[in-house]
Parts: sequence; structure tokens; C-alpha cells
Amino acid sequence: MELLPLLTALLLAHAAACVAWMAVSRRRRSRCYLLDYACHKPSDDRKVTTETAGAVIERNKRLGLGEYRFLLKVIVNSGIGEHTYCPRNVLEGREEMPTHVDALEEMDDFFSDAVAAVLRRTGVAPRDVDVVVLNVGSFSPSPSLVSRIVRRFGMREDVAAYNLSGMGCSAGLVAVDLARNIMLNRPRTMALVVTSESCAPNWYTGTDKSMMLGNCLFRSGGAAALLTNDPAFRCRAKMELRCLVRANIAAHDDAHAAAVHREDADGRLGVSLSKALPKAAVRAFTDNLQRLAPRILPAGELARFAARLLLRKLFFRRKQQVLPASGPKINFKTGVDHFCLHPGGTAVIEAVKKSLGLTAHDVEPARMTLHRWGNTSASSLWYVLNYMEAKRRLKRGDRVLMVTFGSGFKCNSCYWEVVRDLDDAGAWEDCIDDYPPETLVNPYMDKFGWVNDVQGQGGGFVF
Amino acid sequence: MSLPTFSKHLKSIYQLAMNTKSFLAVPALILAIIILLNGTPLVFTMPYDLFNNLCPVQLFNFVLLPTIVAILYIMRRGRAVYLIDYACFQTSPNSRVPISAFIEHVHHFPFLDDRSIRFMTRMLERSSIGDETNLPPSIHYIPPLNNGFDEARAEAELVIFSAIDDVFAKTGIAPATVEILVINCSAFAPVPSLTDMVVNKYKLRSDIRCVNLSGMGCSVGPISVGLAATLLQATPHGSHALVVSTETIASNFYKGKERSMQLTNILFRMGGAAVLLSTSGARARFRLKHVVRKITGAFDDSYGCVFQEEDAMGNRGIKLSKDLLTVSGDALRANITTIAPLVLPLSEQLQFASSFIARKLLDGRVKLYIPNFRKAFEHFCIHAGGRAVIDKVQYNLGLSDEHVEPSRMTLHRFGNTSSSSVWYELAYIEAKGRMRKGDRVWMIAFGSGFKCNSAVWECVRPASEPDKAWAGCIHRYPVKISEVIENIGHSGKIQLPSVDEP
Repeated sequence: MELLPLLTALLLAHAAACVAWMAVSRRRRSRCYLLDYACHKPSDDRKVTTETAGAVIERNKRLGLGEYRFLLKVIVNSGIGEHTYCPRNVLEGREEMPTHVDALEEMDDFFSDAVAAVLRRTGVAPRDVDVVVLNVGSFSPSPSLVSRIVRRFGMREDVAAYNLSGMGCSAGLVAVDLARNIMLNRPRTMALVVTSESCAPNWYTGTDKSMMLGNCLFRSGGAAALLTNDPAFRCRAKMELRCLVRANIAAHDDAHAAAVHREDADGRLGVSLSKALPKAAVRAFTDNLQRLAPRILPAGELARFAARLLLRKLFFRRKQQVLPASGPKINFKTGVDHFCLHPGGTAVIEAVKKSLGLTAHDVEPARMTLHRWGNTSASSLWYVLNYMEAKRRLKRGDRVLMVTFGSGFKCNSCYWEVVRDLDDAGAWEDCIDDYPPETLVNPYMDKFGWVNDVQGQGGGFVF
Repeated sequence: MSLPTFSKHLKSIYQLAMNTKSFLAVPALILAIIILLNGTPLVFTMPYDLFNNLCPVQLFNFVLLPTIVAILYIMRRGRAVYLIDYACFQTSPNSRVPISAFIEHVHHFPFLDDRSIRFMTRMLERSSIGDETNLPPSIHYIPPLNNGFDEARAEAELVIFSAIDDVFAKTGIAPATVEILVINCSAFAPVPSLTDMVVNKYKLRSDIRCVNLSGMGCSVGPISVGLAATLLQATPHGSHALVVSTETIASNFYKGKERSMQLTNILFRMGGAAVLLSTSGARARFRLKHVVRKITGAFDDSYGCVFQEEDAMGNRGIKLSKDLLTVSGDALRANITTIAPLVLPLSEQLQFASSFIARKLLDGRVKLYIPNFRKAFEHFCIHAGGRAVIDKVQYNLGLSDEHVEPSRMTLHRFGNTSSSSVWYELAYIEAKGRMRKGDRVWMIAFGSGFKCNSAVWECVRPASEPDKAWAGCIHRYPVKISEVIENIGHSGKIQLPSVDEP
């Protein structure tokens, strides 16, 4: 063949190959696999039983009968059991004077357990981690906790480390979103996502009822997850991320003020949960679902829902009637097999169950997580996922929807597809067979129910 | 010659060839040769005739090849990130703290002993900080108010909202078009986060991607910019990202006797900056070229260099170790090793490479050649951490006084404003009218971790007027800063220090 046509043909072939390779590489980078995750199981000496809870409450001499009744009501309604964990300084009686070291110790316990476990189980060396995203609400020391992890595990100098803080209970998915976005631009990246909440320095010691809720619900816990976009890990991965939707309605003043860090009348710091919180949650949830539904539901269900909506509108217009408040419900179960709901509290779980039309079986993981671990804030949905895995519910091809709510007000959701059959019990290993429990009698009502019978001032705050 | 070094430099040469416009010249040259040799007239033939007369090879030459080359070029470029504009928080005379007033207050703090008072006075006199720096109102009290959550929130709101208002006014961009919001504030991370506070105030959209970074120290400015640039790659072309860097002083004043922890009281001042980034080059003022991050936290002395802890009495403060200068030098060296191949001209790189290899082969007997970074950058924005840090970086990089003047003047006028100080320095350079189109700026920031991060910008269009923060005082700068401020009495008699003006 002549030189010039040969040259042209080679150049053309090279250009075509380059374009094809770039397209494939871009597609590959956009995949995100969950390699493995580990939930933190604190040591048993940190468990909060009814006795210890009673002792802690009794130590606070500022609380009166009204507050006791309120606390009992909250704890009983919270669905929390006797096996949740709290930081050592609370159990040792130092909840009013937490030191910097107490907070760091709580975090160190978590890093040594969960982060080490996830690296060990996957066989990923710390020096192979390219991105670390850490989210710990309400505690951000200097140097940052992410630097603490980098040092503790000996990661590389050029690791892209990000330390998020103050973003509330839904920040677990914010961290996942951040890791995913970073991986869009970098091929073959390993990202470590670490989520927790700091309870040690944040125990509320006053008498404001809206702030005491936090003490009843939040418990110690954390989770670490390894994400990657390297296709070589696909066969070992547990799940693949399909889509992630974030909704932030902080533009509305009442939603923004739903959960606020502030000082009470005596100058004590705490997070105040307002009465408008359920409404803000619903609004954020709606916003999120509106953007999520078209991306995850099959076309048939969407068409069916649209048709029903249209017919309903025409029907009412013909009859000249006002549209009633409840309309046709979109059936999320057509696109989702498992629901991983944030166990914010029994009320939250019930509200989501009702709005999505779920069964008791669907919300069982969230309820059981709340019972066993309490509300561990941003990391709680990893415990819920772990429960499903321990119960062997997750099979290849199943689709999992994670939904979280948090201060701001934010509602974030994440849609996964299970890559292979999962059966790792993880943090639930020693107790999965006890769930769901046969008896539903709340131990706190059993032990402290006498408070309601004592004559005196009644409680007034209805949440 | 070791293989990794050789390949690293081969890579940088390749990068150089690929990044310059000569990349396009090669296929263009081949095309020209093909046309000449084929001898077919190009421009004046009718398309119909063209298609009829051309054989397939010529058709490929004229149609497909240029198209594919153009696509390749566009795809390889990636999405460039531009800085639309930025605004620094304008300090107010109400909250200013002259050094003499600070010294007088120190004499009256009940929690200090004589030794601490003498130490703080000495440090303040040698700090190179001027008399117009700002502290929040709670720190003006004697003793300073602490544990003030509301004060901290008020300070954060004041600084962040002022800076954001200014940047929106400068750019004319509607808040509802902001798709990404990154805020960094080390010492203060309330619930709801500062990002939610901004979303609430400016009614930003509900699908906004917001990230609230906290605890990452003074070096987080380039990190936030890099993060916003990464997030912009995943949004439609022309999206806007708002990056806000600030620090909160209220409720973080150290009230103890530990001298290593008192330095932060002396150095840190109120300040903040808001930056608007976009992937669209229209109305852009700077183009982001590189962001390089290095963290040396693997070593104990680096990690413990800037460390928050409680002293023996339980007062929380940030301890600065005596090794700060050494550690920052090491971190800077680590950063330079990565950034040098990206920015230096080939000649400097070859010189550095050969001295590096010679040093390895001869076991350290040859002094390492310090590349001449003045050939790669016109302006330097070195984090105004303190006088000693600026001096050390000037020495390490072989810079002149004029190159570090923005840093020194920012330290004098605004104090150490943590992560936003690099933006004040950039604003100084522009206010002085020294920025030209095509000038390259190197922002270097140091901070706890120990991290050294840098961002490289190229100017597209210099500012037409000075930033508000500098507008009222730029005519007085540069100011000659003496080593020690004299005429401040130790007995409590306060006289105004003399500051020479050129």
C-alpha cells in the first residue's frame, strides 16, 4: 500500500480508537460500587440499660416531675431497647463536663473498630485509598478527624480527604454523593466513606423539653464503607449505585428552623427539635420523591400513575367538585424491593410507611435497628442495611432504596442494585436471631411507669 | 538513572508537548501535505463536483479527519473551571483592635499571670500585624466572652452574608442559579450547617449540592476550590459554584496560661471570602489550572504541629508547636515536588531533575537545585500565617520582597484570617493594578494536618476596580513593617506606634 493512504488510514484508526476509548472510560468512571461496609459495635460496657438510663436522669438535679414524665413518654414511644450504646463519659457521670479527650476517644474507638474492619475484610491497603470522606456531626477538632484517620492508618500524602460536619442525620448520603462525584473524574479510584455522630460532647444538661429529645434518641454508633469505580472489583462488590437524589429545603424558614443548635434560657447548648419538624420532613420527602420517581420506577408504573392522576382531575372537574386531599398513590414497590429507612424515631418510620404504602415487613429493618442501636444519626442506615443482609433478604438483582432525613431540612435518597447474594451478618452477628423480638413490652414503661401515677405537675409538651 | 524518575520526566515532557498548541499543528501539517500531494483544488470547487470527483481517500481527508481531530482536542481539554469573581469581607472600624489596645486588654485579663502577659505583649509587638484588624464584639470584652454560640453564629452570618452579597453584586448572577455550595469554617460547625444557613438566606434551589467542610484548618481554601471544580464536572455546562471560606473567632478565644496556645489568640482575626466559580468562560476573570494537595499527617511531629487540646486546667485551645517552621518547610517541599512538573518550563525541570538524581547518586553531597518559580508565576499568594512563615517560604522559594509583599501587607492589614487570607492577597495584587491578562498566580496555603495545598490560576481579565476590603486603604500600602513595634510601654502607658510610609 502507498505511504500516504496508509498514514491516513492509521491516523483515522487511531482517532476512532481514541474516541471510542474515551467514551468507554467515561462510562466506566461513572459506575460506583459498594465494595464492603462495616458498622461499629461499641464494647458492651457502654450499653445503656434501664438502670443506667435511670441513673443518668437522676443525676440531673434540675429535672422535675414534669420532665420525668415527658422523658418516660419519649423513651417509651421511641422504640429504643436496652442494648443501645452511649459514650463512656456519660456512663461515668461526667456528662456535664465532657473533655476534648472524651470526644476523641469515642471517635478513636469507632475508627479502630469499623474503619479497620472494612479495610481488613476487603484486603484494601490504606495506601491504596485515594479519597476519604468523613462526616461527623457536631464535633470538628483541629487537626480534622479525617487527618486523624489518614495518620492512624498511614494513608498516602496526596489522599483527597474531606471533613464534613454539621450536616445532620442525612449527611451519610451527602458523603456518598461527594465520593461518587470525585470518582467521576478519576479512573480506578478507591474511596473510603466514614460516617458517625459525636455524642460525648453533646449531652444536653438542661430542662428545655425540645432539646431533651436528643438525649433520648441519639446513641453512639458509626459506619465505614468502601466505594470504588474500578470495574476489576465488580465481582467482589456488594451493591452498585444507580442514582442519588438530594433535596434541601432550607429556603423555607420553618424547615430551616426544624432542628437548631442553640442555647436554652440558662445558656446550655443543645439541639432543639421544633414541632414543625414532621411537616418539614414531609415536604422534603415529597420534593425528593418527585425527582426520584422518574429515575427509578418502571415506565409502566409512571404511565399508570399519570393516567390515574389525569382521570381523577377530569372526574372532579366534570362533577365541579373540589379535589380531596388524598390522591392516587404511586407504588414504589414496583421499582424497589427493599426499603432502607432512616430510623429517626417511631413517628418518622410510621409516617414514611404510611406515605409509601409499605408493610410491616418492609419497615422491620428500620424498627429493629432503632430498637437495637437507637438513632445513630447519619450512620444508622448502614445498620439497617446490615440487618437486611444478616436476615439474608438481599439477593442478586434486588433493588434497595435508602432514604434519610436530617436537619436543614434535607431529604436524601439513594438507589442501589445488589450485585450478588449477600449473607454477612456484621454487627448483628450475635443478636440477629433474637430479632424481631417476641415481646413488645417496653422495659422503660415496666420500670419507670410509676412516674405517671405520682401526683404532681403534669407534663405539657406533646411531640 | 532510576526508572521512576526517568519516566516521571518523560511524562512531563510528553505533557508539555500535549498541552501546547503544537498538538494541533501535527495533524494540520499532515493534512497540508496530503492536500498538496493530491493536488485537488480545495476552496473553489462546488460541493457537488467535490463529491463526484473525489475518491474515498480524499473524502476522508477533507471531512472526517479534521472533524475527528477537533473532537479529540475538545474532549482531551476536559471542562475548564473559571473564577467569575470573588469578594472579601470588608472589615469595619467598629470592630478594629489596635495592637496597643490588645496589649492593654492583655494586661487586664484575670486568667493570665505576669509571665503570660509579658509573652503575649512581646508576641504582639513582633507580630507584624497592624492596627486595623478586626475581632468580633465578644472578644472586645475584658475578659473576652466565651461559649457564646449566638455570638459565633452572629459573626459567621455577618462575614458570610457580607461576602456573598458583595460577590452577587459584583457578578450580577442570580442566587437561584447556584448549583453547588461549598463552605469551610474550621472552628464552628453548628446544626443546621452554615450551608443550610446560606440556602435559607438566599433561597437557593432545593437540588443544590452543598458541602460543609469543617476542622480542616487554614489550608482548606484550595481544597474547597478543588472540590467545587470537581463537582462542577458533573453539572451542566455553565453552572455556578459558590465557595465561601471563613473562620470564626468568637467562642474560640483561649483563656489559659499555656504559651503555645496563646499564639492563636494573637494571630487570628475576622475575615472571609466568597468566590464564584463556573465552567463557562464568559465573564470569567481567572482560569483554574491546577490544585495540588499534600498532607504529611503520617509523621507524628507533623500531625501534632497544630493540635487542638485542653490544657492542664481544662481550657481548650490550639497548640502550635516549635517545629512549625520545619514542618511547613517539609510540607512545602512535598507540594513543590508534585506541582513543579506541572508548571515549570522544561529547562528548570531538567535542572531540578539532574540535581535530584545527582544528590541521590552522590548521597546528598550535592545541594538540591531550587527551581526558579519566578519563571512559572508572576504572582504569589502565600497564606499569611505569621511573619516567620512568610519569611521561611520566601527563603525556600528564593522570592523577592516584592513577591511576598501581598502576604506581608495582608497580615498587616487583616491579620491571619485563616483560609481566606489568600483571597485578600489576590485582592491586594489586583487593587495595586499589578495583575495583567495571562499572569499566573500561585496560591499556597498551610494548615493543621499538617497540609500544604496550592492552587494555580491564570488571569483572563484583571479587576477594573479594587475589592471593597482594600478600597479604602490601598493608597497607604505598601507599608514599611518594623521587626518590633516600638513606643508601646510595658507599664501600661500606651502610645501610638510609628509606622513609616514610603
